[in-house]
Amino acid sequence: MSRGTGAGYDRHITIFSPEGRLYQVEYAFKAVKAAGITSIGVRGKDSVCVVTQKKVPDKLLDQSSVTNLFQITKFIGLLATGLPADARSLVQHARNEAAEFRFKMGYEIPIDYLAKRLADKSQVYTQHAYMRPLGIVAIVLGIDDELGPQLFKCDPAGHFAGYKATSAGHKEQESVNFLEKKMKNNPQLSYDETVQTAVSALQSILLEDFKATEIELCIF
Amino acid sequence: MGDSQYSFSLTTFSPSGKLVQIEYALMAVAAGQTSLGIKASNGVVIATEKKLPSILVDETSVRKIQLITPNIGVVYSGMGPDSRVLVRKSRKQAQQYYRLYKEHIPVSQLVRETAAVMQEFTQSGGVRPFGVSLLIAGFDDDGPHLYQVDPSGSYFSWKASAIGKNVSNAETFLEKRYTDDMELEDAVHTAILTLKEGFEGQISGKNIEIGIVGPDRKFKVLTPAEVDDYLAEVE
Repeated sequence: MSRGTGAGYDRHITIFSPEGRLYQVEYAFKAVKAAGITSIGVRGKDSVCVVTQKKVPDKLLDQSSVTNLFQITKFIGLLATGLPADARSLVQHARNEAAEFRFKMGYEIPIDYLAKRLADKSQVYTQHAYMRPLGIVAIVLGIDDELGPQLFKCDPAGHFAGYKATSAGHKEQESVNFLEKKMKNNPQLSYDETVQTAVSALQSILLEDFKATEIELCIF
Repeated sequence: MGDSQYSFSLTTFSPSGKLVQIEYALMAVAAGQTSLGIKASNGVVIATEKKLPSILVDETSVRKIQLITPNIGVVYSGMGPDSRVLVRKSRKQAQQYYRLYKEHIPVSQLVRETAAVMQEFTQSGGVRPFGVSLLIAGFDDDGPHLYQVDPSGSYFSWKASAIGKNVSNAETFLEKRYTDDMELEDAVHTAILTLKEGFEGQISGKNIEIGIVGPDRKFKVLTPAEVDDYLAEVE
């Protein structure tokens, strides 16, 4: 039976390393990067958009069944970057949360609350040894009745925050640098400008012009 | 809690008698952003740095100082996700107390119960300790209170305390400035000056958070505009 007290097990399950780090969580982040896909989200004045690469590894695959973009409710979308199987688990949980909320409370789940619930679930995996963290960064988007367009990102560590623009995946850092320059002066982007910013960011980071079949895009 | 495969404690004694997982948890706290609290004669103030990883983050969506009850607030240093678990459990415990006794939970009791939760996670099977220290501030029938709770589950009442990265400088500063008859307004100014000591960059209402509770027993997180006003007074 494995017993962990810094005897190397801090890399196998989510217990603290001597420096106070959680290696399993850090490795989960690496798994997100290893998926080889980059995703970008941009929030405008009254719209919000996410775009991601669509890589179909095998020509024999049915392209329409390959997706990282999921509908949680009629009003909320979720872009899962990372391990596809973990994505499905997270989406299932998100859909359940949203439906339960609607049933119990009588109104649609707010996007920031859903993001918090997903992040709380991820936190449990970082604290309990029997479940590993999910290798997924989730970008949740939608339009909130009171707060307007919302863009949230939840990661394997259990962190979540609202963003004006964000990115996840392989070229996350380059995308963030690009977006920081674009969003520096707090531009109030229109519907078209939001989409253009997201797509042009992806194109310029990855240095390729995309065909319609090579990306997935969601806009509210 | 936990699967049967992991129903043994992950936090075990080392040959020298130390609980190393708790020590490592404290390192996670020491790597966190600085937070501090000051107990004045007529209230308590808690404050923290709110350094966000990018300008793209919507700072209105990030709230580090949270309410547990209308008269008790909490701030953390360390791992944010872990603190959310404790805030949720504390809120529930406070409500359960009220349901049973029809009286608001005294601060010391809430702290005791929160600390008990943290201790549980150092002993139960299949879980790791929390990677946060909490500063709990409240005003009840016994007056103003400031408590610090550590990952081990031990807690102490403080006149002024700091946790996180810049602890030694902050504590030295607080020791010099603290007086027993300090009022809440002075305490807020002192808190801001202490944060400023170790602050990298330009301090503003957007990158710090301040919470206060006074004799009105209403814990309030100051808006960025209010924080900016205090900053201007301190200049």
